[in-house]
Amino acid sequence: MASFQNIQPAISSEQGAAAHLQEPPFAARRFGGEITARIVPPLLAFGSVFIIWLLLYLIFPRLLPGPVSTFSEAIRLLEDGTFFFHMIQSLRRVFVGATVAMIFSVAVGIYMGTVVAGERFFQPLVVVGLTIPGLMWALIAVMLFGINEIAPYFAVAVTIFPMLVINIWAGVKALDKELIDMSHVFHFSPWMKISQVIIPQLVPNIFAATRYGLGLAWKVVVVVEMFGTSNGVGYQVMKAYQVFNMEGVIAWTLTFVAAMIVIEYGIINYVERRLTAWRPKIDVWRR
Amino acid sequence: MANLLVKDAEKWFRKEDGQPVKILNRLSFEAREGCVTVLVGPSGCGKSTLLNSIVGLEKLDRGELLFVKNGEQRQRPLIGYVFQSPRLLPWKTVGDNIRLALKGAAVDRSEWERRVERYLEMVGLGEYANQYPLYLSGGQRQRVGLARALAIESDLVLMDEPFASVDELTARQLRQTTRHLCEELHRTVLFVTHNLPEAAYMSDFVVTLTRRPASLQEYVANPLGSPREWGPEIYNFAADLENKVTLKEETVL
Repeated sequence: MASFQNIQPAISSEQGAAAHLQEPPFAARRFGGEITARIVPPLLAFGSVFIIWLLLYLIFPRLLPGPVSTFSEAIRLLEDGTFFFHMIQSLRRVFVGATVAMIFSVAVGIYMGTVVAGERFFQPLVVVGLTIPGLMWALIAVMLFGINEIAPYFAVAVTIFPMLVINIWAGVKALDKELIDMSHVFHFSPWMKISQVIIPQLVPNIFAATRYGLGLAWKVVVVVEMFGTSNGVGYQVMKAYQVFNMEGVIAWTLTFVAAMIVIEYGIINYVERRLTAWRPKIDVWRR
Repeated sequence: MANLLVKDAEKWFRKEDGQPVKILNRLSFEAREGCVTVLVGPSGCGKSTLLNSIVGLEKLDRGELLFVKNGEQRQRPLIGYVFQSPRLLPWKTVGDNIRLALKGAAVDRSEWERRVERYLEMVGLGEYANQYPLYLSGGQRQRVGLARALAIESDLVLMDEPFASVDELTARQLRQTTRHLCEELHRTVLFVTHNLPEAAYMSDFVVTLTRRPASLQEYVANPLGSPREWGPEIYNFAADLENKVTLKEETVL
């Protein structure tokens, strides 16, 4: 009968020590490989859309403009500065409307999450607000304020406000009470409690709301610009539509989408990564 | 001289069905200045409720909490608190967690860096000021909680089963560090536990509580000298305490 003393280790202790001096297994995943793994899937996604578009154009040349001529139009818009001028107008409208909505929604969301009477008062209003389409607010805003800058600000703010409130309200209800008690015990001022304890816990909710809210805000602002302003991406799309310039419509859409991607990946993702740097990166459960 | 006097403390809670439940029943004892007073009692007897009342998270229904310094009674002073879970802000570095407590305690800003460095060194985490808490082990986080409670240099420090959530070996190291620091810094500490060897090791005085509603059962002076080692005499004193307190789970009324 074999005793435990007779069982030899698979590798000698010297080999074992040498093995410990080697690089850990996860070092094999090199920086270049990581970049490729990040970039290739989205490139494949865009590439497949391009190929389908090209095939459709080859099959129905009268129905669709070709991708090459559309991209040329988009590059022309970028080169002569038209795109940047109108994009900045649209960006400003979205930014101002979203900021106003964010300020009010943080205040109302915190109030609803902390005061029962506040919850009972605002909940039906928020639910009703969610059901009203952004297009209706766009129409109402233009009819109320006329063709000026207030209309898009108002339409954007009112459309995304209920969605932001819902997210922040849910975040406040899930706040860690133990941390709030801790802040009370250590005599944090009311401002310290809000800025250091409550708002940081709401960051994931605020980002989720911002992403969804901005997506909606773009749609609303484009609609308002179509019939309520004399500049902006929506105005340009409408102009191209009126002369049945499909290349122009798609070129504006493409450049607009490119700008959205830059904002999403370049700004929102960056800010989110910076604000959540305290979280250990654990990707064990993902493939 | 007492630093904290609990006089005839009484606290009621309302159950979900609306029935009132008495948690504390005319509980009186004192926490002496510069000593570690350990509160021992059955689970659910109201120890944490008492600590929460002392820091103002709860309000007593009857009775008084008197804070005394140099023979004079004071309003609720600054109190350090080591919680059962560390309760650190995970989005702040270890150093910033302590700095926020110093800010809350209105400590002069010029003093912050010296205190952060000093107290992190004391708990053996001098190198960790710029780390985020989630990158630390449970025992290390609890050490940060201890450093935070001590760094504000309050007259009174409360500790609510601070080592209950870490493994026994880590808990022993933490007890040793905490006991040593309390002696060195001469802090008044009110320490809650239901671990009798821990009570025997940490205490200068032990207050044993009855089942719910909690009232004073015994007030025992610890015969062991300082500094002390974790050894048979700790278990002997723990056995003495066991005869004085019933730690069985309270039947819900």
